[in-house]
Amino acid sequence: MRNRLRTNPLVVVGLLAVSLPLAAHHGTAVYDTSKTITVKGTVTEYVWANPHVYVKVDAKDDTGNPAHWVLEAQNPVSQTEVGWSKNTFKPGDEVEIEVKAAKNGKPVGIINNASRIIINGKQFKP
Amino acid sequence: MSKRVAFSMAALIAAPIAVLTLSLILRPQTTAPKAPGNEVQREKWNNVPPPKSAYAGKKSAPPPRRDISGIWDAAAEDGGRQVSGALEHPAFFSRGKGPNGRADQNGEGSEGGYTDETGIVHPLPYTPLGLAALKANKPSGPGVRQVPSALANDPADHCDPLGFPYMELYELRTLNLVQTAKQVILLSPYYGNYRVIWTDGRPFPKDPEPRWNGYSVGKWVDDYTFVVETVGLNPKSWLDHAGRPHSEDLRVEERFHRVDHDNMELTVTINDPKMYTQPWLGLNKFPLHLQPPDFDIPELLCSPSEMAAYNRDIGDVVVPEQK
Repeated sequence: MRNRLRTNPLVVVGLLAVSLPLAAHHGTAVYDTSKTITVKGTVTEYVWANPHVYVKVDAKDDTGNPAHWVLEAQNPVSQTEVGWSKNTFKPGDEVEIEVKAAKNGKPVGIINNASRIIINGKQFKP
Repeated sequence: MSKRVAFSMAALIAAPIAVLTLSLILRPQTTAPKAPGNEVQREKWNNVPPPKSAYAGKKSAPPPRRDISGIWDAAAEDGGRQVSGALEHPAFFSRGKGPNGRADQNGEGSEGGYTDETGIVHPLPYTPLGLAALKANKPSGPGVRQVPSALANDPADHCDPLGFPYMELYELRTLNLVQTAKQVILLSPYYGNYRVIWTDGRPFPKDPEPRWNGYSVGKWVDDYTFVVETVGLNPKSWLDHAGRPHSEDLRVEERFHRVDHDNMELTVTINDPKMYTQPWLGLNKFPLHLQPPDFDIPELLCSPSEMAAYNRDIGDVVVPEQK
């Protein structure tokens, strides 16, 4: 089976050059910010709440086994500022989302303002 | 119907229309600003402040006398807020090289070079007690001393009140200042904070029972500068998101200086002889920008149940493996 989880080295270079972490309530120390991965799968839940907005995505790992990812962003006010809303994702959406993954290897990632997001085949543009 | 009656009726109809039309023309421009490139903001609710660049070179009318009321946005950076705790003493992201020899976005290193034993490049004048208290505080927020949220002990992480001056030294977003005959009321949406600053000349309480927001009195030192003194602060709260400590002896001075109609500067002085050998500035002429009077500040509360869900799904999951 084709790998659903892949690393894009070109994107990594771009992000290091331009992205500045903003207003992280809990910071990003637990995430490996040196590389970007793309999580591809189906949205199962979207939580529009404090302290951080997050979306749950059912993906598959390198061996084709199910991987239940949780991808967090910032608080609803900060996400509103960059064009997100309570309707940005809904269960069943097919998504590809660039994230920095947790250092401890757990399927948790953080989305920043430079992350490329594709929802049902269309690039998300606020 | 006589001509006279017809004319009167026409006037009766025309006059309100004229008044309405005129009032629409003369109505002040109060539309909330729209963030560039943000098409989400379509109504007068949950308004987004403009980026810092929107204020550059903007002309303003002279300041009104003895008036700091209004909705003020803290636009220290694009997006309109400060994030680093006490800005005068940064403990945030590196802008130079960290100890590992490379620019690091992850809280290692610090502004301008290497960290000292406190982990901060610009250390404050800590007393021995202050330094010990600093080291005991484990912040989850961004900064050189950051730890994963599950290992942190910031009271605010558990939805305790931010308290004062934490509310001004971190995530100072949009403030609503209301002036009455005897009070200035400060409403801050972040953690749902409000403070009453008394202007009726009352003295401080003799032996104050500590309060998260303390006891505040204010006075005008000139027509454009309102100075607030606060005592009786609860030492359970931190000074800021970087874990800087304070004792019950903390005394804070806020200086709200209205530069012109649209701009104000906030200077916050920290004076806590138990923790620091001398007073220091938490904010130094920090810019606040007046928003239109119909600007609707969005809600940003700390909900214990939402925090628990977040920790279950994320906060507790990403903790590094214990070796």
